[in-house]
Amino acid sequence: MAQPLIKKDDDRDDEEYSPFLGIEKGAVLQEARVFNDPQLDPKRCSQVITKLLYLLNQGDNFTKVEATEVFFSVTKLFQSKEIGLRRMVYLIIKELSPSADEVIIVTSSLMKDMTSKTDMYRANAIRVLCRITDGTLLTQIERYLKQAIVDKNPVVASAALVSGIHLLQTNPEIVKRWSNEVQEAVQSRAALVQFHALALLHQIRQNDRLAVSKLVTSLTRGTVRSPLAQCLLIRYTSQVIRESSNNTQTGDRPFYDYLESCLRHKAEMVIFEAARAITELSGVTNRELTPAITVLQLFLSSSKPVLRFAAVRTLNKVAMTHPMAVTNCNIDMESLISDQNRSIATLAITTLLKTGNESSVDRLMKQITNFMSDIADEFKIVVVEAIRSLCLKFPLKYRSLMNFLSNILREEGGFEYKKAIVDSIVILIRDIPEAKESGLFHLCEFIEDCEFTYLSTQILHFLGNEGPKTSDPSKYIRYIYNRVILENATVRAGAVSTLAKFGALVDSLKPRIYVLLRRCLFDCDDEVRDRATLYLNMLVGDGSVSETDKDVKDFLFGSLDIPLINLETSLKNYVPSEETFDIDSVPKEVKSQPLAEKKAPGKKQSGLGAPPSAPASAFDAYEKILSSIPEFSSFGKLFKSSAPVELTEAETEYSVNVVKHVYDGHVVFQYNCTNTIPEQLLENVIVQVDCSEAEDFSEIASKPLRSLPYDSPGQTFVAFEKPEGAILGKFGNTLRFIVKEVDPSTGEAEDDGVEDEYQLEELEVVAADYILKVGVSNFRNAWESMGANCERVDEYGLGQRESLAEAVSAVINILGMQPCEGTEVVPSNSRSHTCLLSGVFMGNVKVLVRLSFGVEGPKQVAMKLAVRSEDQAVSDAIHEIVSSG
Amino acid sequence: MILAVLFSNSEGNILVERFHGVPSEERLHWRSFLVKLGADNLKGAKNEELFVASHKSVYIVYTVLGDVCIYVVGKDDYDELALSEVIFVITSAVKDVCGKPPTERLFLDKYGRICLCLDEIVWKGMLENTDKDRIRRLIRLKPPTDV
Repeated sequence: MAQPLIKKDDDRDDEEYSPFLGIEKGAVLQEARVFNDPQLDPKRCSQVITKLLYLLNQGDNFTKVEATEVFFSVTKLFQSKEIGLRRMVYLIIKELSPSADEVIIVTSSLMKDMTSKTDMYRANAIRVLCRITDGTLLTQIERYLKQAIVDKNPVVASAALVSGIHLLQTNPEIVKRWSNEVQEAVQSRAALVQFHALALLHQIRQNDRLAVSKLVTSLTRGTVRSPLAQCLLIRYTSQVIRESSNNTQTGDRPFYDYLESCLRHKAEMVIFEAARAITELSGVTNRELTPAITVLQLFLSSSKPVLRFAAVRTLNKVAMTHPMAVTNCNIDMESLISDQNRSIATLAITTLLKTGNESSVDRLMKQITNFMSDIADEFKIVVVEAIRSLCLKFPLKYRSLMNFLSNILREEGGFEYKKAIVDSIVILIRDIPEAKESGLFHLCEFIEDCEFTYLSTQILHFLGNEGPKTSDPSKYIRYIYNRVILENATVRAGAVSTLAKFGALVDSLKPRIYVLLRRCLFDCDDEVRDRATLYLNMLVGDGSVSETDKDVKDFLFGSLDIPLINLETSLKNYVPSEETFDIDSVPKEVKSQPLAEKKAPGKKQSGLGAPPSAPASAFDAYEKILSSIPEFSSFGKLFKSSAPVELTEAETEYSVNVVKHVYDGHVVFQYNCTNTIPEQLLENVIVQVDCSEAEDFSEIASKPLRSLPYDSPGQTFVAFEKPEGAILGKFGNTLRFIVKEVDPSTGEAEDDGVEDEYQLEELEVVAADYILKVGVSNFRNAWESMGANCERVDEYGLGQRESLAEAVSAVINILGMQPCEGTEVVPSNSRSHTCLLSGVFMGNVKVLVRLSFGVEGPKQVAMKLAVRSEDQAVSDAIHEIVSSG
Repeated sequence: MILAVLFSNSEGNILVERFHGVPSEERLHWRSFLVKLGADNLKGAKNEELFVASHKSVYIVYTVLGDVCIYVVGKDDYDELALSEVIFVITSAVKDVCGKPPTERLFLDKYGRICLCLDEIVWKGMLENTDKDRIRRLIRLKPPTDV
């Protein structure tokens, strides 16, 4: 047995001294030679093993040679019958994890122990053998392991069962043969054996739904002794419920009663597990939820931090889907804001922010202000994000929320935290027009004392775009010019550009801006001087730099019409070359993938992360590409570009998606193609479009793709003329090309190719393609100021629907409009719902839609549609979309 | 899966670390993360007062016992409640071996036995034994009393 190296006493001097002080691997390995002594000293051997363990546990690694040497010496210790030493030997063998060719040395000793009469030898030998064994050895000892699983000694049974769980990963086919024995062990009277057996049995059968369902059915009726096993059973039960939910008829949920009865179990962990399982049931009703919420609420005031954390974490999740169900717990939750454990406090805050209503916002903000000063940045970021979404939910409360953000912006904090705040303010400015002026002002204050160059330059850029459009742009100049005086070169250069933007847009400020820019001509930094010179020449304008006012604005506000990645590659090539750099030589073709990602649904719009053109960046990029193609340049202004629609299955030879670009009188399909076959080069790639189901559209131009090498996406375009208005149609697509074989060793293509074609999915132009998603901050105001002049109201039956939420999202998708004030979320089990939508229809006509849904009879959904717009024809068009959809 | 069991002294030096299913290149990161977590929160904490945190999809329950800080990290089945059970077994086993909440010296004196206890409690990332009396017997290779 491991004895202390120094005798234990209460002498304070000794307390300072560690028994492992100055321990060295080399010396310990030397000491390990005592294992080879003919007369073994068990006590000394135990001490040496303890030292070896200490080294291993400290993360010290033994080399292969060292480990082998120690391992061989350790095997000698099987000669000793001393029990304490034997226990240490088992442990150190597991820690050393010998390689397959060494294992053979101990196998016979361990096999002997495994069949020993002493139960404890058996259990430990099983654990060691299973740790170090491989498949072949396993078949030899399988018989013993099966016996061990049903051994009357729970320690032996548990050892075999837990070994089984581990072995299932490496030798599943062998372990699966033990099913009968494991099944027997599930009925064991020993709590832990039952727990381990249940876990193993479930893993063996996890791919057999019927078997799992049977297992759950029988166990939920019987008695499960161990709370741990009960927790497992609850998890398996909810899995069965989840999988069976699709094919049950209406009526009671299977096993709900079992879950509910577990809420009255005496072990807290079982109660919690059941409560959580109930809250996670899909489509859970309020009646089902109530008992679970009640026990979670009790846990909120538990003295155990772990229970409080678990409860608040679960309630936080529930608040996302059923905010109303959690409001009962708000009082308990508020007291958790002062919880010692900051994780608990943060979860409580964010839950409250989700469940709070408009009237409680102010009170809540007060509490949070006190709380913010003593939590770490990572928690603060979570709070800031929660406040951002709260503000978007209650735009009328923007004042107090914006004030809160500006206050915390002034306090100490790291980069990520400050960035989160700035991003939030920028998003609020974009989405809530009323918040613009105060938001810009807060950002100006912030850059007066901002230590982060990145944030300063991003804010200056944003200010340059937004500031000139405010009622009094002159008040920002002071803040911007202060940057020129006080900051580093990067920020100074940014400030110069911002000044120029004000100069270009605000005529009354021009003379003063010139004065300021002239001062920048003497800056000590090249870039700042160059920018000032350039902008002055442009703005004062002798015509040498830019021709017209429009040119100036295009230069200052237009986005770079070249993908940055292409520019970077070209510049890298330019550096070692002799030729002068020509920006026109940079390819403009955008790789299709990044665009598709940007447009991916559900991706949150970032704040400053992507510079202020971010929301329209994909759109801008499309516009640039299209306007650079002469055939399309006469189409006028691009109205909308759709998200990419896949026309091929995933992982096919050629991957094609299409973006629909809509103009007043035209539609352009941009096919983004990728060739996924390394041995092929495609040339003259074009999509042949069949318009037989889109008679109003006539093809007028197409732009083939000259060559499409492996894994390098390219685009081909087809343009159609159409009458004005929201014309719909369905298009058949076939990809046509010449395919050439590529020699994989040289990468060169053969000269001759073969014509080929590849069938793509059909594509539809739908009503949503003619409507832009544009939100309004205050729907009611917008609705009332729009007036009832062009209003049209009608009622529609939507027939039998899976659920109300499904019906709501279907209508939103058909219309392609922006849901406002979070009304796209339908509280589950509600029988009626109102959804508010806003958008801009083709021809720049604002449209507002109020949808009132109701459920009647068995899942029959009816809808009242009220549309207000600036044009009666558009109101009618919306109704037509719905009635034909 | 119990991903890690880690003991450190109050200065953040590692006394025991056992990882399960954590790639070796990530261990250093975890070690410093946990030690920092302890340094930030465990000052002035009472013996066996539990602290809990989650980092990505991983749960951490930690506590202080005498001079020793104990951290348990788990994921999936081993959420905060299961881990609190694990840490309870660990603290009671350590107290049982040391006779009281240990000083660092006492902990190191009993190092071998504590390693054996851990071996009985957590086996390759799974909770095996939960009862301290049984563990006390098992580390001496004595059968449990209820057999």
